[in-house]
Amino acid sequence: MATLTPQEIMDRVRTQAERSGAAEAETYLDVVTFREVRVRQREIELIQQSAIKGLGLRVYRDHRMGFMYTTDLRTPVLDEIVNRTIALAGEATPRDENKLPEEIPPPTQELEIYDPSVAGMQLADQIALARAAEENAFARDKRIQTTLDSRCGMQVNEVHFTNTFLGYQTYHATTCWLGVGAIATDGAKKREGYFGDRKRILLDLETPERVGRKSADRALAKLGAASVPSAKTPVIFESEAAGQFLNGLFGAFSGQNVLEQRSFLASSLGQAVASPLLTISDEGLMRRGLGTRPFDGEGVQTRNTLVLDRGVLKAFLNTSVSGRRMGRGSTGNANRSYDSLPAIGPTNFHVERGNTRLDKMVSEVTKGLFVTGLAGFGIDVVSGEFSQQVEGRWIEGGKLGQAVEGVTLGGRLGEMLLGIDAVGNDLEYRSNVCSPSLRFKELTIGGA
Amino acid sequence: MATDRPISRRLFLRGGALVSSAILAGIPRLPWFHGPGTGDAEAAIMGIGQELRDVLNEETVNRILVEALAKGGDFADVFAEQRFRTNIVLSEGRIESVTYGYPRGAGVRVCRRNQTGYAFSDEIAYNTLLDAAHVASAVVENQSPVTPIDVTRRNLAAPFPLSLPMPLMDESRKFDVLRRMDAAARAVDPRIVSVRLEYVDEVRDILIGTSDGGYLVDRQFLVGVSCTPTAVAGTERRSGLGTIGGRVDEGYLAAVDPERVAREAARQAITLLGAGPAPAGPMPVVIGPGWGGVLVHESLGHASEGDQIRRGTSILAGQLGVRVAAPSVRIVDDGRWPYGRGSYAMDDEGTLSQRTVLVEGGVLQSYLLDKQNAGLLGLRSTGNGRRESYRKWPIPRMTNTYIDRGVADPQSLFSGIKKGFFAAQMGGGSVDSTSGNFNFAVREGYWIEDGRITKPVRSAVLIGNSLETLKRIEGVGNDLSVEHSRGTCGKDGQWVPVGVGQPTIRFSQITVGGTAI
Repeated sequence: MATLTPQEIMDRVRTQAERSGAAEAETYLDVVTFREVRVRQREIELIQQSAIKGLGLRVYRDHRMGFMYTTDLRTPVLDEIVNRTIALAGEATPRDENKLPEEIPPPTQELEIYDPSVAGMQLADQIALARAAEENAFARDKRIQTTLDSRCGMQVNEVHFTNTFLGYQTYHATTCWLGVGAIATDGAKKREGYFGDRKRILLDLETPERVGRKSADRALAKLGAASVPSAKTPVIFESEAAGQFLNGLFGAFSGQNVLEQRSFLASSLGQAVASPLLTISDEGLMRRGLGTRPFDGEGVQTRNTLVLDRGVLKAFLNTSVSGRRMGRGSTGNANRSYDSLPAIGPTNFHVERGNTRLDKMVSEVTKGLFVTGLAGFGIDVVSGEFSQQVEGRWIEGGKLGQAVEGVTLGGRLGEMLLGIDAVGNDLEYRSNVCSPSLRFKELTIGGA
Repeated sequence: MATDRPISRRLFLRGGALVSSAILAGIPRLPWFHGPGTGDAEAAIMGIGQELRDVLNEETVNRILVEALAKGGDFADVFAEQRFRTNIVLSEGRIESVTYGYPRGAGVRVCRRNQTGYAFSDEIAYNTLLDAAHVASAVVENQSPVTPIDVTRRNLAAPFPLSLPMPLMDESRKFDVLRRMDAAARAVDPRIVSVRLEYVDEVRDILIGTSDGGYLVDRQFLVGVSCTPTAVAGTERRSGLGTIGGRVDEGYLAAVDPERVAREAARQAITLLGAGPAPAGPMPVVIGPGWGGVLVHESLGHASEGDQIRRGTSILAGQLGVRVAAPSVRIVDDGRWPYGRGSYAMDDEGTLSQRTVLVEGGVLQSYLLDKQNAGLLGLRSTGNGRRESYRKWPIPRMTNTYIDRGVADPQSLFSGIKKGFFAAQMGGGSVDSTSGNFNFAVREGYWIEDGRITKPVRSAVLIGNSLETLKRIEGVGNDLSVEHSRGTCGKDGQWVPVGVGQPTIRFSQITVGGTAI
């Protein structure tokens, strides 16, 4: 096994599958190297270093699918797996749309998702960054005496792919991250604030100064938080909270959910479902994007898809099978790793930048809530219900005031989207799902 | 954080694999697995961890541990794992996919005081693990070598007896369960427009060698079946959820009546079609038994975990002996609860599981501890050191956590409530352990008016604070139920199966996140 390259392993497995009765076969092999360092109270608390190598095999036989995965790449095991996967396919129900994609991807354009300086990061570099970030949190204010920890990580992903039609494809990508969970203490009260950044390119990563400072500021802002009375008021989601909201909303745009009647937007294609201020895109080709890659989990070229155009629902996102079933093509949104079947997921999914400054958004609110974080399992894309635990600040007379916690927000997703009356110009890419700040005309606060 | 939903890729219960003789007759046995598929239960038990032991015998484990402590350290361990997983999805009346997975690998951990070094490999080989030991030892600096105690095989007592574990059943019986549940859910009402069923099971063999002389192997079985019917009427869409499973056997399957569970899930979806707005704000709340225990999991369970206690970042740090709940409340974490999703003979660092009383008479009695944090606190591990897989290191986690049985007739708990909220079925929840602020979602809720359960309402979250909410318990029912068919807990990127439970409980006040004020 040690002597075979990933391409040789995959070619061998795929050819054998085709020879053993699979009409179509696809292999996907992940090779991941990873190291994370955690520092707490100026001491190294954890060093984790690892290498992952795993193979997934999908076959179609008479339009029936079989799938198996393993991290055991010894030859006899792989031989066995091919046989079993083909036998397995006999158990599934056939479907005419069950076919591997045949689309030939174009030559890869420059996506800038690999940075040799991330791949070359040394343990000492990571320790230094994590230490510096924590030090900056402490230095910000004497009420920051402890942290949950400060983390610095690096990861290199190699993806190898082949199917019956497309031949061998591969790409490399890097990710680096730095984050601090700071704890602010005021008497017996403690509150935590987290800030972290994640990037493809080391030079794009926030500095330890800013990471430390922002985590401290977020913790400090929560001290003295209290509940507010129940009310219906305007609500602003600051960009990170708006990103959490968008992440919860993603499933509503999944073609598979639409086919299963599990999206509240299932019958709304072509209709105005949101405020004309709202445009949402999924951009698989965004330069340096955390969700960017040349091809998706089933070898389909990634692309940019306009999902919501000035409030009008333009497209659902699909894999090749769900796309075919909807009478459309794949949108290149098959997400996976070696150990999972391709499933619909975001590439770089975001609300387009608006033109309102955040301070202006706040100044236009007489009484309302400024939300910095959402928590809970209360975004239901089937029923369209929204209910979340939130924290943030109270807005009084156009100014940010008292810190708020212990309140809920309730609404219906459909009405919320239509009721957005301002979109911020503060979009920042720290995740593959992100949004500028959003203001909602009216939501229900459940409070004291 | 805990969820009752099937979780997405790379999380714990994704994928699956077990080999059955039923559909794979004629295919030769895998070289690396002696057991299921042979149809010989005796051989299956004899072979526990055999594939792992072939490479990692007592002698090689000793040598790896010597390397791990070559630069010093308090203790080290070797952990090897192989899993067989089966995952079957039935959607829109068809078997959409069948997946087998076979992940395996091993890792080495080195600990010194609060410091941990961890390295793993997907390849289980002596030389690879010697390298891993060397990498993990990098966390220790400027210390003298420590000599580990030679490991000796120790035997484990199963926490409860199982006849034929469900994952070892013929594959055809697994398909049959899904088809029966699908048909039952559809038959409830024409407004049920789709039903999605997911079956996941696994057989997990683990081997642990510890520098204090332990050499242990175990095999753990787990199965979970979820049924999610969707009902549509006009523009209204609602889904329901029904689950069966746990660390269960065919005796359980015979008793559980999967069709009834599927019909109940469909009924839930249909009931919710007519739901009106939920209330907003604080009010008296009654929470139903079983999975309602997600409240105690979020409110007290996470805050009692030893890592946050040791760091002083939990709201319960330094609170042993302090009143944290109403005097009528006993809270237990039981790693040996029959069929429990969180049950095991030993945890993932080789400590035997136990029943830990966390709260007695409303007073905090104990924390949940792994070896490292117990050592730092001057306490003993409570057998709660768990890891998601060989790719992660152990951290303190819950097993099956519940509020114990009380004396009240559940019906009596509604009387006297003029206007309140009844959470019949809960969803997932999460907590910030530093502030103690937590939330959990309601799947199926109703108004309580003049002591009676009345109109169904749309889903909403409930929120509270760890130090306040449990003190507001006014009545504890006598109908304890511990849910073992759903529950996956996420912490620090690691997902593990857990059980939660409680009887019917009444709270004087909880804040409800609806829209009606």
